[in-house]
Amino acid sequence: MDTFIQLTVDALTLGSVYALIALGYTLVYGVLKLLNFAHGDVFMVGTFIGFGVLQLLGGAASPNVPVWALITIITLAAMGGCAILGVVIERFAYRPLRDAPRIAPLISALGVSFFLANSMQLLFGATPRTYNTFEIGNGELYFKGFDIGNVRVPLLRIITIGAAFALMVALYILVNKTRTGKAMRATSYDREAAEMMGIDINRVIRFTFILGSALAGAAGVMFALRVPTTVAIGFVAGLKGFTAAVIGGIGSIPGAMAGGLILGFAESYTQGYVSTKWSDLVVFSILVAFMIFRPQGLLGRADIRKV
Amino acid sequence: MTDSTPHSSDTPASGPAVGQDEWVARHAERRLMRGGPLAAMEERLRAIPWWAWLTLFVGVMCLLPALSSSGYVRRVGFDTVLYMMLALGLNVVVGWGGLLDLGYVAFYGLGAYSYALLDSNQFHLHLPAYAAIPAVVAIGAIAGFLLGLPSRRLHGDYLAIVTLFFLQLFQTIATNGDSIFGHNVTGGAFGIFTVTPLHAFGHTLVVQHSGVFAVSYYYLALAFFAVIYVALRFVNLSRTGRAWRSLREDPLAAEAMGMPVNALKLMSFAFGAAIAALTGTLFASLSASVLPLTFYFVLLITVYTMVILGGSGSQRGVVLGALVIGPLLELLRDPNKSRVIFYIALVAGLLFAFRLSRRLGLVAVATLALGFVCRAIAGAIHHSWVAGSAKGGFQHVLSYWLIIPRHLAGWIPPVTYIGVIGVALALTLVRGRLRLALLPPTLYLAAFVWDNVMLTQPDPARYIVLGLILIALMIIRPNGLLGERRVEIV
Amino acid sequence: MKKGISLFLALAATAVVAASAQANHRTVASASAGVSCNSTFTLPFVTPLTGGAAFLGQEQMSWASYAVKTLAKSYGLKIKLVGGDTPVEQGATPAQDLAQKYVGDKSVVAILGPSTSGAVAASTQTYFAAGIAHLSPSATRTDLTKTVGGVKEGTPAFFRDVPGDYIQGPSDANFMIKNLKVKKVVIMDFQEPYSLGLASAVETTLKAAGVSTIRLSAPNTTTDYSAYVTKVPSDADIVFFPTQKPADAQTFAQQLLEQGKKAKVFGGDGSNDSTAFKVPGSYVSNFAPDITGIPADKALVAGWQKANPGKTVGSFGPPAYGAAQILMSAIHLACKADHGVIKSRRDVLRKVKQVSIKNWILGGTFKWSTKSNDPLNAKFYIFQIQQNGSYKLVG
Repeated sequence: MDTFIQLTVDALTLGSVYALIALGYTLVYGVLKLLNFAHGDVFMVGTFIGFGVLQLLGGAASPNVPVWALITIITLAAMGGCAILGVVIERFAYRPLRDAPRIAPLISALGVSFFLANSMQLLFGATPRTYNTFEIGNGELYFKGFDIGNVRVPLLRIITIGAAFALMVALYILVNKTRTGKAMRATSYDREAAEMMGIDINRVIRFTFILGSALAGAAGVMFALRVPTTVAIGFVAGLKGFTAAVIGGIGSIPGAMAGGLILGFAESYTQGYVSTKWSDLVVFSILVAFMIFRPQGLLGRADIRKV
Repeated sequence: MTDSTPHSSDTPASGPAVGQDEWVARHAERRLMRGGPLAAMEERLRAIPWWAWLTLFVGVMCLLPALSSSGYVRRVGFDTVLYMMLALGLNVVVGWGGLLDLGYVAFYGLGAYSYALLDSNQFHLHLPAYAAIPAVVAIGAIAGFLLGLPSRRLHGDYLAIVTLFFLQLFQTIATNGDSIFGHNVTGGAFGIFTVTPLHAFGHTLVVQHSGVFAVSYYYLALAFFAVIYVALRFVNLSRTGRAWRSLREDPLAAEAMGMPVNALKLMSFAFGAAIAALTGTLFASLSASVLPLTFYFVLLITVYTMVILGGSGSQRGVVLGALVIGPLLELLRDPNKSRVIFYIALVAGLLFAFRLSRRLGLVAVATLALGFVCRAIAGAIHHSWVAGSAKGGFQHVLSYWLIIPRHLAGWIPPVTYIGVIGVALALTLVRGRLRLALLPPTLYLAAFVWDNVMLTQPDPARYIVLGLILIALMIIRPNGLLGERRVEIV
Repeated sequence: MKKGISLFLALAATAVVAASAQANHRTVASASAGVSCNSTFTLPFVTPLTGGAAFLGQEQMSWASYAVKTLAKSYGLKIKLVGGDTPVEQGATPAQDLAQKYVGDKSVVAILGPSTSGAVAASTQTYFAAGIAHLSPSATRTDLTKTVGGVKEGTPAFFRDVPGDYIQGPSDANFMIKNLKVKKVVIMDFQEPYSLGLASAVETTLKAAGVSTIRLSAPNTTTDYSAYVTKVPSDADIVFFPTQKPADAQTFAQQLLEQGKKAKVFGGDGSNDSTAFKVPGSYVSNFAPDITGIPADKALVAGWQKANPGKTVGSFGPPAYGAAQILMSAIHLACKADHGVIKSRRDVLRKVKQVSIKNWILGGTFKWSTKSNDPLNAKFYIFQIQQNGSYKLVG
């Protein structure tokens, strides 16, 4: 039973990060019908921004500000930095291709992903960077927490899951209760009609990228607080992120959240109960099965192509 | 209806075909006639039949070992021929079938592994070449067919995702294949490392003589390349080729016209996979070992860049793309050659953008002047700021124009790198005189970053170049060098 | 547009030809000409400088350059160190391309590396056929110097200055059995050659001694080991964690503590980094004592740290220094024997085994084993991490 609880906690933690990344994919796909392959690398840049700011604030062992402020500042910094990066990528790599055949921005995205990963390697080298969260306040983030039965849920995980959920709620409110959110949804249904209705498409798309990339930045910090980061994590993180988005239904925001959690659970339970070696295989097989039998995912809309 | 067949020598110069609008059909001719001596030369070149081009090309490539006895040149030549074959195969799937296959290199890996399993100590099989090669090609075709089966109903992005996951799947299986139900099939992360070279009728194709790469493999690769090229040419001119083109241009209309769309897609996948598998055989037989990580994302992007650069849909184009990118990647490893290439590319780019005009002269003079001025100022401030170049050689000559410091403070590489990207992007936003004015500082900054930041690590630098080429290609010229401009009908 | 294309093609062709022409003028192979010992030798270092294992290559490169910079003069040689990148993602091709390149370059008389066992396997035949000695500071796969199951991948021209997996594995396992008296051990591997080799070696020895073992295999790209930590039984004594990234060992140890498991992490030489891996109670095995603790190395370490500000002394770098030193020594001996003109690379190859270095960077005197191209009497040192984070020698 303990194993089950522990695995569930792991699943929630993993799933929250995946959900945040998946949200970025889903938002962009909704408005642009583009799979932003560079998203995983934006996530990676987020981890590095967080690292940089952490060092500026004195490092984990002797921070200049209290722990809560520390984590909030680096998260906000990463979100801001990634948002800027996302906007730049959109403006220069995707906007010129808005009316090109669908294959063009996809390939451009591949190019951007490649460019980002190697640029980071060029500038910052290949050594892993750790946030050394263990040293913050003598490991208080690891040892304090509440208990479920025999399993202790440490503060760090609570922060991760909590922050992710808070962000998702904020996003939900933003998309469903504000005018810009309405514009986003309109654009995702039919871009030309939205344009004819007077919605400034460029602004909407820019806003979407800001949201998506900011979420990736937050995911980056949540991720790097617990594990070391390198310049090479972008590809796999991106792959998992859009697996989650596709399972949940790409284009659907609740779908992305659900997909992320499902992926987290699938991975965690497979590793725990079946075999660690083949966990990747199981996860990808689930995805391929979805793609074949239910391409619109769990909560997505079936894509009706008008002729 | 625009004539979208590839330019071939058998397009009749007399009148348009029945049903074609004459004025539209003569559009291509009129465009050419506007040209000049260059256009006339092009017209003459176009009149040369494709097989003459192929023979000439293969002939020139065959001469390569005679020009240089260096094993390195031959090996790079061999790698380039392999890239050409891969590019041809990918062209079938992406260029002719219009299917975005992101799992293509998995077939390459499958071919390599299949050959390794048939010809190594893994299962103690040592099939001769005339049995192994057809077997591997068949395996590749079947695998392509199998991948195509679930992908029939998918299009565009969804197809891309599924094929990408197939790549990941292959990677996972190959890496963990050392304990499939207790049997060591793929050697796991170690790979299979006792692969024997190609052998038939008792003769083995030797890989090297005293450490120098043997030409026999190079010629064999060229022979395979020629065979594949000719075969694909005939397929392209056949009914299947025309059907593929219609599928690529507008799948819905093709289906409405009664084309067996599903069968066509499957055939496209199978052909591409078969070619990739054949290339994999050549690769494995000479590498003496196959590792899973070779067949992954980096190789995929490289082959895609070649196809896109050359022009997807055009056989000649993708071969040209491979010919440019393959050796380029290898040359960019060496900082000295990298430097030369940068300046050649810079000059070529300027020529291309400005032709031979007054503006070109203006920009060139301004950049040179700015450079000398900056360098003089830097040298006056502190002599170690300009003392970083090695004695003799191109870099030393360059250091009279470019600031090459001896030591670079830690903050300089990231700041200047991001700076040059920012300025270059800003350049695309402005127009006219402002753009012209901003160009010299951008060029100088780019030269500075290239020499001092990127050449210190040539290996990620060359991948950065690849990524930039992809992005720029898509924006400026998506049909590549020799491809056709396509309009997607939505 | 088409005019521009022709222009572009012409220029591109010129560029390629011009640049490659620069390559060739030095590579005409002429077997009879010798290389003067007064000329600059090129010492290529074949190592992964980009890709997933780049942290290894870059660390080794910094130490090798330091060695060349400080030692070349004392051997009376002019050495130019060049890097040859063999990213692990590209398999055998880069190693083979580079092998061809260096075989054709007259100023190359020995090769430093290849660092990865896979690259060695891919290129050792070429180097052997050309008679070039290649010395690796980190390729520890057993069958590169010993015959395993009837197969020996290495050639007589391959050397390494660190002991192979066949020493580290049993040595670690025996320590666990004798000193730690383990009953249950979890063994992890990361689906790549280094860890697989070590994990298997340890597992075999432990099983033979009757210790209960659980084997967990993680994909190479794993960063979050939570699920694996969950699978560690609460009564396991040790988790053998042969990672090449000390930061991962640290994370794993922290997560063990987080979940309240009593098992301690036992890392291989790849996790040896006192600034990255410092959870008290864990163990690290290394083929050398911590060189910062060797008095004879003090000046050396200080010099390296001055040349590489902000970087820490890891465990992959010093063997690269040692390897460069051995090769320069061999070239020096060949120069002496050949009276200033090295006639053939095989002369250098023959001298490698005659090299012996006192006060070697990894401690003591370096000598070759007579039975294989491995160091003599190589042993592994086991450290335990103390409360203050320092490494204490315990076995």
